[in-house]
Amino acid sequence: MGGYGDVQMIDENGLRVDGRGPGDLREITIETGVVPVADGSCRMTWGTNEAIVAVYGPMEAHPRKIQRQDRAVLDVGYNMAPFSTTDRMRPGFNRRSREISKVTKDALESVVLLELFPRSKIRISIEIVSAEAGTRCVGLTAASVALADAGIPMTDMVVSVASGKINDIVVCDLNKEEDNYGEADLPMGILPNSGELVFLQMDGDLSQEEFKQAWNYNMDAAHVIHEHMVEALKGGAVQ
Amino acid sequence: MSIPLVPNLLRAHLSELAENDSRIDGRDRWQGRETQVEVDVLPRAEGSARVQMGDTIVFAGVKFQVMQPYSDRPNEGGLMCSAEVRPIAGRNWEAGPPSPEAIELGRVVDRGIRESGCIDVESLCIIPGEKAWQVILDLFAISDDGNLFDAFALAGIAALRSAVIPAERFEVGKDSPLGVSKTPIMCSYHKVGGRFVYDACHREELGGDERIHITLGDDGNVHSLQKGLKGIFSTEEFDEIMRHALGRTNELRDLIN
Repeated sequence: MGGYGDVQMIDENGLRVDGRGPGDLREITIETGVVPVADGSCRMTWGTNEAIVAVYGPMEAHPRKIQRQDRAVLDVGYNMAPFSTTDRMRPGFNRRSREISKVTKDALESVVLLELFPRSKIRISIEIVSAEAGTRCVGLTAASVALADAGIPMTDMVVSVASGKINDIVVCDLNKEEDNYGEADLPMGILPNSGELVFLQMDGDLSQEEFKQAWNYNMDAAHVIHEHMVEALKGGAVQ
Repeated sequence: MSIPLVPNLLRAHLSELAENDSRIDGRDRWQGRETQVEVDVLPRAEGSARVQMGDTIVFAGVKFQVMQPYSDRPNEGGLMCSAEVRPIAGRNWEAGPPSPEAIELGRVVDRGIRESGCIDVESLCIIPGEKAWQVILDLFAISDDGNLFDAFALAGIAALRSAVIPAERFEVGKDSPLGVSKTPIMCSYHKVGGRFVYDACHREELGGDERIHITLGDDGNVHSLQKGLKGIFSTEEFDEIMRHALGRTNELRDLIN
């Protein structure tokens, strides 16, 4: 959260720099079957974010020490391609990617019916090829679609979306400019059919009222995104 | 990359197909897969391309950094080329530091582009001895159904040709297109079932033997060669490959010109 709120990001009509209202999402497109050699895959664009996710498995879990006798394990890798950011991202180990991989895994393990595939592994590779803001939400949402595309049984798909605060006004789905001056960020992973959560992070500064508003924006947005996800999967099945 | 078990059945099947002069996906011995090249596909890169050859899909992205020229070459910028094949691209590719296979991929593509002289490194100099552009070409595999070499090389040169030097962002002048004067193109051949084929798919790579990569320039000049994996080949076999490469590189060049 680099900003101090001294730059005017919302005009007198309550419109944002890209013309959106406070609760509006950036444009979203979802496509399945984009990695032909994978068991399931998804390409999702969200603003100028672009994530490509491939799912492999269930397959043999290697090395054997990661195997679980009673369930499958998820091997989730979130990564940003070197050309995905304004300044080139050096390939290799980085703590941010490790953390996002872990929380994404924790979210998805909450919905995948792991006990159906004992001793096996399901690999989920999330590659961000273009980053704007909110890549962890794009990655997690696209991973849910890729799992569904691979036919992996789940109790529900996870829809991930973030709201935040700029110029003391709570808004949904911050873009890159807004994120640079943002005062808070609340990403959530929502199960649209029950309204329950499997992923939650927050940083910044929100009053109780602002927090409630951000929470509600995310809940409403999740249903809009969920429709895109279902539409993409239906389209994939027709082909 | 984990070394997958190669079923003897697959090798036997490929030999049988070779005897009847056919291939596992029904192609002719010298026939490539359908190839598509798109440029300007990555909004954060200064130049980019996506290449699809059959079910093989790769991206190439160009980024720029300001570097200090090397003291023995104060008037020159630099070109760096790296290839990454992450687990997304196929079930045999694993996370972790680059495997020898991925390093070989990057270096062979790099040599073909560098040695063709398509980028005038002196034109990358901003202030002699102080500032110069470093061009970074990142090759990134999305789906590996064989012959990443040719897909990377084609995406790489297409991305460089679309690149714009972001001088305004670095406050060193006006943005301008990166000068790329030549179009080196790579063609790769695998020995499958005892004879060389062009543009092997994943199963042919799995059940095949050695491979040969040739990069040719616009005038047919040879810019890089590489023989990979265990195997023996004759001068006659090489001549036959080279004859095919001379024709095929021109067809591929037309795709990006």
